Amino acid sequence: MSSDSAFVRATDAVKAQLRTRLQPVWAVLCTVLAPLDRAIQPVADLYNRSLGRHFGTMTGLQFGVIALGFGMIATVPFWSPFYSETLNITFAVASIWAIFAMSWDIQSGYTGYISFGHSVLSGAAGYTIGLLILHYDPSMGPLVTIPLAVLASLVLGLVIAVPSLRLRGPYFSLITLVGVLLFTNLIFAFSEWTNGELGIHQVDPFTYEPWIRYYYMAIPMLVIAVGLTYVARSNVGMVLLTIRENERAVSSAGLDPTKFKISSFVLSSIPMGIGGALLVYYGRAINPVSFVEISNSIEIIALAVIGGMGSIIGPLFGSFLFFFLEEELLRDFIEDSSTRTLVLWLFVLGVLVFARNGVFRVVWHALGAVRGDSE
Amino acid sequence: MLSGLPTVLVNAALISALYALIAIGFTMIFGVGGVLNLAHGALLMAGAYAYLLLARDTISVPVFESMTLHPLIAFPIAVVTVAVLSYLLYVVIVQFVEDNPIVTFLATIVVALAATEVVIHYAGASTQTYTLIPSDLLPSTVGFGPVDGILTVDVVGFVVSWIAIGLLWLYVTKTDSGRAIRATSMTERGARLTGVNVHAVRARTWLVAGALAGIGGVFLGASSSATPGMWLQPLSLAFIIVVIGGIGSIKGSIVAAYLIGFLQTGVGEYLGQNFRGILSLVLLIAVLFMLPQGLFGREYHE
Amino acid sequence: MARNNDQTTGERHTDEQNADGNTTGSGYVRRRHFLQTAGAAAVTSTLAGCIPGGGDGGDNLEGPIRIGHLAPLQNPLGIGSRRTATMAVDQLSENGGIMDEEVEVVHADTGGNPGTAQTEAERLVAEEEVDVIVGTFVSEVTQAIMDYVAQEGVPLIVTGSSAPSTVTDFIGQDYERYKNFFRTGPINSTFQAEAMVDYVNHLNELHGWSSFAVVADDAAWVEPHLNVLPGALEEEGYDLVMEQSLNINIDDFSPVINDVVESDADAMIRFFAHINAAPLLVERAQRELTFGIEGIHVTGMHPAFAQLTEGAATYETTSQSGGGGTTGITENTVPFVESYRERYADSDPPVGHPMYMGFNTYDAINVYAEAVERGGTWDYGNDLDGIVDAMLATDHTGVAGQIQLYGPDAEYPHDAVETRDDEGTISNFPITQWQPQGALECVYPEQHATAEHMVPRW
Repeated sequence: MSSDSAFVRATDAVKAQLRTRLQPVWAVLCTVLAPLDRAIQPVADLYNRSLGRHFGTMTGLQFGVIALGFGMIATVPFWSPFYSETLNITFAVASIWAIFAMSWDIQSGYTGYISFGHSVLSGAAGYTIGLLILHYDPSMGPLVTIPLAVLASLVLGLVIAVPSLRLRGPYFSLITLVGVLLFTNLIFAFSEWTNGELGIHQVDPFTYEPWIRYYYMAIPMLVIAVGLTYVARSNVGMVLLTIRENERAVSSAGLDPTKFKISSFVLSSIPMGIGGALLVYYGRAINPVSFVEISNSIEIIALAVIGGMGSIIGPLFGSFLFFFLEEELLRDFIEDSSTRTLVLWLFVLGVLVFARNGVFRVVWHALGAVRGDSE
Repeated sequence: MLSGLPTVLVNAALISALYALIAIGFTMIFGVGGVLNLAHGALLMAGAYAYLLLARDTISVPVFESMTLHPLIAFPIAVVTVAVLSYLLYVVIVQFVEDNPIVTFLATIVVALAATEVVIHYAGASTQTYTLIPSDLLPSTVGFGPVDGILTVDVVGFVVSWIAIGLLWLYVTKTDSGRAIRATSMTERGARLTGVNVHAVRARTWLVAGALAGIGGVFLGASSSATPGMWLQPLSLAFIIVVIGGIGSIKGSIVAAYLIGFLQTGVGEYLGQNFRGILSLVLLIAVLFMLPQGLFGREYHE
Repeated sequence: MARNNDQTTGERHTDEQNADGNTTGSGYVRRRHFLQTAGAAAVTSTLAGCIPGGGDGGDNLEGPIRIGHLAPLQNPLGIGSRRTATMAVDQLSENGGIMDEEVEVVHADTGGNPGTAQTEAERLVAEEEVDVIVGTFVSEVTQAIMDYVAQEGVPLIVTGSSAPSTVTDFIGQDYERYKNFFRTGPINSTFQAEAMVDYVNHLNELHGWSSFAVVADDAAWVEPHLNVLPGALEEEGYDLVMEQSLNINIDDFSPVINDVVESDADAMIRFFAHINAAPLLVERAQRELTFGIEGIHVTGMHPAFAQLTEGAATYETTSQSGGGGTTGITENTVPFVESYRERYADSDPPVGHPMYMGFNTYDAINVYAEAVERGGTWDYGNDLDGIVDAMLATDHTGVAGQIQLYGPDAEYPHDAVETRDDEGTISNFPITQWQPQGALECVYPEQHATAEHMVPRW
C-alpha cells in the first residue's frame, strides 16, 4: 500500500526511532503516575460499579482527569480571572461550540457519515427565534422560543436525513454541503423577513454578565454531554459504531441501518437546536455568517476531530482546547490574526495526520496504559 | 434577448472547456486513489496567485524578488509550480491518511483553509486581476458574424484546455505510465497484480492533476479575478460536475462540464444571476437521488 | 512584507514587530501584571460581593485614556484606518495628550465577521478597559456589537459603515439605551442617496446623459439608495432602463454587461460594497465599452486600484468620504494626506491615502479628544451624559469634512450632519474618478473638483 513509498518508509523509521528514544521517558512517567493511579482507583471503582455500565469504566487516572476536567469546567468563573479577564468569555463560547461538536459527533463520528451541513440545524433554531421575536411577538421569552427553535431544528434534521441517508459516503456529505448553500441562499432570497446579511439583533440576550452567562452556556452543555455519552455507550451507540465499521454486518444482523442513521441525525438535531438557541441568547446577532455559513460547519468538524471523533467527550475537550489556543494562548505569541488562524489550521492538520483519533483519545489511552505498563 | 443567443452559446462553450479541465483533475485523483481532494480548489487558487507573483509585481514574498515575467514564461512556470505543490500535498500529507477517506476529506479541506490564510498574509485580502494575453500580442476581444464581444482570453483558455485534454488522452492511452494510471483507476488490485507500482501511480496522478489545476487556475484568475476565497466556488462546481459525470470517469467529466456550463450560462443570462447556482444544485440533488453513479461512472465503493 | 515599526509613545507595545497585529502588546502587559496582583484583587473583589468582569469605566478617573479601534485589519480599508488611528493618537500625545493624560490606542481585528467583532468588542471593554471604541466596517458588524457596547455604556463612534438603520433601529428607537452611539462620518446612506441624485443631474448637465442602469449588491445597505434613486431618476425625467440586484457571490459579470449594452444606457450606476467589480471592469476595458460607471464601489477606493487592475478601472467613479486624498474638503485634508503619505511611504499598500474609513477614524478620534476636553470627563461609567453633551456640541473641522452631530430629537440622532451649500445640495459627498495614466481626480462637487468628469473613451 502506501508502504511502497520511500518517504513513508523513512517517516516510519523516524517514528520508530522516536518511540525507542521516548521509551525510558514513558517508563519514568509510568513509575511516577502509577501510585497516583492506584490511589484514585478505589474512587474510580465506586463510579465504575454504579455508573460505569452506562458511561464506560475508567482507571484511576482516567477518572481523575475526567473529574478534574469537569471540575474545572464547572468552576471556570472562580479561577479564570487568575489567568485572564477574557477566559470566562472564551469558555462560554467554547461551551456552545462544544454542544455543536458533541452533536455532530453522535451522528458523524459514530456512523461515519460525515455531515457538512450541521450549521443549518443551529441556523434553523437561531432564525426561528429571530423571526418569532422580530415578526410575531417581541415579548416572547426564551421558555417559549427555545422549544420552538429546537423543534425547527428537529424537523429540518428529519427533512435532510430521510432522503439523504439512503446515499453512501461522500454523496451524503455532498448533499449536506448543498443544504448549507441552499439555506444561505434562502436567507438572502427572503431578506425582507430575515434582514439578509444585517441579520436580526432584536433578541435580548440572557445577560452580558460574564459569570452568569458562562453558567447559562456551560450547564446545558454538561447536561448534553452526559445525555449523549449515555446514548453513545448504549446499544444504540454500538449499532452506530458498527454502521461506521461495516454497514452490511448491521443489516445482516437483522437491523435496519437506515433507521439508525436517521435516528442518529435526528438525535443530533436536538442539541444542535439547543446550541443554536443558546448562541442567540448569548448575544450573537442572528446572521448568515455567524450561524449558517459553511465555515461554521467546518469548524465544528475540526473541533470534534482534534478532540477525537466518536467519543462525545473528545469533542467537548477539543472545543475547549481549540478556543483556548485561538483566543488565549496564541494571542500571547502571535499578533496577526491571519497567522493565528493559519497556525490553528496547521495544528488541526497535524492532529489529523499524526493523531487521527484525536488528542483526547491519545491522552486517554496513555492514561489507561500507565499501570498496565509498569506492572 | 435572442439576438444575443449565438454569443451566449459561444461563451458557454468556451467556459465549459475550462470547467472540464478543472473537473478532470479532481476526478482523476478520485479514480486512482479513492481520495476526494478538497484542496483541489486551493490548487486552482495557487495557480492564479503563482502567476500573479511571477507576472506582476504586486505581491512580495520573502526570499523571492518580485518580478514581471512575460506571460509565455510565467504561465508554464506557474503550472509547474502547482503541479509540484500538488505532488508535495500527496507525498507529505495525503499518503499518510489516504487509507481513511474521512480523515483525507478533512485534511484536504483544512489544507484549503490554511492556504487561504497564507494567501491573505502575502497577497492581502483584496482582489487582484491580471491580464494573461498582452494586448500587443492579440486583440482583447474577438467577434465573428453575429457573435460579438468574446474575450480573447476565454478563447485562448478554450484552446489550451482542449490541448491539455488531448495531451492527457494521449498520455493515458498511448504511454505506459499513463496506461498504468488508467489501469489503477479501473481496478487497483488488478493493477497491482500486473506489477504496477500503485504508489508511484498515485503520486504521478497528483502531479498531473496539479498541472491541470494550474492551467485552470491561471485562466480562471484571468477571466474573473484572484481572491483568497476563490477556491470554494470552483471546488463545488468540480464536485457537482464529477458527481453528475460519474466519479472517476474523464469522459463523464467532460460531458457533465458542458452540461453544467451551458446550464449555468443560459440560466445566468436569461433567468438572472441568483438562479445560476441554485439550478446546478437542484440538478445535483436530482442526479444524486436518481442516478448516483452518474452518467458514466462506477458506483462508489468503499 | 516590509514591516513598519510604529515606535511612538501613543501606541504602547512590548514586542518589536507590530505592524499587522491587532491587540497591542499593552494587552500582554496588562494580563501579566494582573496575574501578579491577582491574589489580592480577586479576593478583595470577591469578598466585596462584586463580580469581576465588564468595563470598569467607573473607577477610571486616572489616565491613560485608551481608545479601542475595531476594524477589519486584514483588509486595506482596515489597514488604512489603523494607521490613521495611530497617527491621530501620536499627534495628540505630542501635543500633551487629552486633559494632560496620556493617550493610547488598542487595535482589534473584526475580520469583517459580526461574531468575531462581538468577541473583540468584549475583549476591548473587559480586558483592555478602553474608554471609547472607534471604527467598525460593515453595517452588520456595527449592528452586531451595538447591544453589548450600549449595555456597558462605552461610547462608540462609528467611522466605517453608513446604513441608516444603524441609527433608526437602535438609538432612534430607544434613545436612553443607545445614547453612547455616535457616527462622525461618513454621512448615512439616505443623505448619500440624495447627493447621488444631484450628481446624476450634474452628469446630465455635463454630458447630456439621460438613460441609466442601476445595479446593486443584493444586500441591506443599498436599500436607502434603491428607495431613492430609481424614483428620483424618473422624476427628473431620465430613463431608468435597467435595474438589477446582484448576488454578492457573483463571479460572472458578462450577463450584466450584456444587459447594460443592450439597454443602451449612458451610464451604469452601481452600488458595490460586498461585490468586487474588478472582473467587470476588466471585461469592460477589454471590450472597449463606453458607458459610464458611476455610483459607489468600495473596492475601487483602494489608492492603487487603477494599477492593480492594470488600467481597467480607468473612467470608473465612486463616491468616497474624504475624497481619496485628491482635494481639500477642508483646510486640514491635504496636510493630513501628505503626512500620511510621508509616514507610510515605505509600507505596504494602501500608501497613497488611507481610504474612506481612515479619514473618518482620524476625525473621530480628534472629535472625541475635543469632546473630552470640552466636557472635562471621559468617565462613561459615572457621567455618560456629560460625554454625550460634549460630543453633541461638536463643530470640528475634520479631514473628511466639517463635523457636527444631530441632537436627540433629530430623525438620525447622534449621526453626522450632512454639509449643505447655499443651494441646499449636499456638498460633503466627493466623487472621484480614475482618469488615464492612473490619476485619481475629484470630479464632484464643483467646489472641491480637481478635474472635470471624463466620458470613457478607449
